[in-house]
Amino acid sequence: MSEFLTDAVAFLPVLARGLWTTVLLTLCALAVSLALGLVWALMGMSHHAPLRWTNKLVINTVRGIPIIVQLFCVYFVLPDWGIDFPPFLAGVIGLGIAYSVYQAENLRGGFESVDRQLIEAGTALGMSRGMITRRIVMPLGLRTALPSFGNTTVMLLKDSSIASTITVAELTRSGQLLAISTFKNGTVYVLIALLYLAASIPLAMAVRALEKKAAWR
Amino acid sequence: MIELSNVAKAFGARQILRDISFTVSAGEVACLIGPSGSGKSTILRTINGLESHDAGRITVDGTLLSDKTLPAIRRKVSMVFQRFNLFPHRTVIENIIEGPVHVLREDAETARARAIELLQRVGLADRADAYPGQLSGGQQQRVGIARALAMQPQAILFDEPTSALDPERVGEVLAVIRELAEDGMTMVVVTHEIAFAREVADRALFIDEGVIVENGPARDVLTAPSTERARLFLERVLHH
Repeated sequence: MSEFLTDAVAFLPVLARGLWTTVLLTLCALAVSLALGLVWALMGMSHHAPLRWTNKLVINTVRGIPIIVQLFCVYFVLPDWGIDFPPFLAGVIGLGIAYSVYQAENLRGGFESVDRQLIEAGTALGMSRGMITRRIVMPLGLRTALPSFGNTTVMLLKDSSIASTITVAELTRSGQLLAISTFKNGTVYVLIALLYLAASIPLAMAVRALEKKAAWR
Repeated sequence: MIELSNVAKAFGARQILRDISFTVSAGEVACLIGPSGSGKSTILRTINGLESHDAGRITVDGTLLSDKTLPAIRRKVSMVFQRFNLFPHRTVIENIIEGPVHVLREDAETARARAIELLQRVGLADRADAYPGQLSGGQQQRVGIARALAMQPQAILFDEPTSALDPERVGEVLAVIRELAEDGMTMVVVTHEIAFAREVADRALFIDEGVIVENGPARDVLTAPSTERARLFLERVLHH
């Protein structure tokens, strides 16, 4: 046990740097996934059929490809066309795209749960469709989507470990390198597991707090 | 002011409205009564285009209702809903200025000032910053009426405005509507409150199975209807 503690103290600075990269990667990918997800969700609810078809195509394509393969495509395949991203950025883009389809489904679920009668009230006031979306459907739908949004974010945090395969020095990769050089697999991987856990709990709490703040009355 | 001629509507194979024709003149209060499912709410909702109609013409203040004129007509005609339909994420005053500021493009100050006047008029000036969820049904409906008035409409459509209220809250809402009638507001009211309709309405229409069965002065239609169908309905409603 005391050996575990001394090792832990020695390893933590390296792992902490990895954790920081993991958190940064998660937050950046989260922003990308939300922005793209909003676009997909709005396309999916559009009155123009071609937009809805495009939405279906994108969602089913992205959802049907393993995230690790998507990351390889961004990091190893795009350079063939002269598009060369550094590892971290490739991770943000790959994870952002992969997760955008889940965010889109979360958002669409929220938007579609908005009471039709409120939309009618807006219509009767003379509001345009766009105005109803911006001023009624989005604010109310986002609130409903928050709990599933929290789940997705925790999943994203864990899946950010896949970026270790494209040489992003996040938590998992830092740990792998440490384990290889020290042969202390047990200590290192237990520490990694604890650090992921430690990062996901405040995340869940932040979403819970946001939910409370978004509740009116 | 509001004129329907030969309006018809079907949902699939089911004919909801047949050959609906009537006129509501400026300053007149018309009540639509009839059993549930008779089509009276649908008639109301065709007037501001919440429901489309398959045949016939609807004109409001001389403007024929079409896809093109719909926005203009919605500015002339406000609506009050059975279930209030206030925006739950906005305060009372925000609900009231939503239309004036975002649809009519008034500046927020003017809209707020008028909203406060309207809240005084419906007796809720002290609840301006409350959220709809903090209000009773009767209070919410009075806010709904203030929201409709804030658009400075030429007519207001009421879709069973007291049906979702606790019995002891009905009076406060009817009082507000009564006052509007006295001020000469043009109104079309779908209601089950026969006593209220007798008192306030100038004209009453009895609707059954998508057809206007009676259309005449409220006093006549609601006390001495000429058809058996209307007489039976009134008997049932009044003895309830």
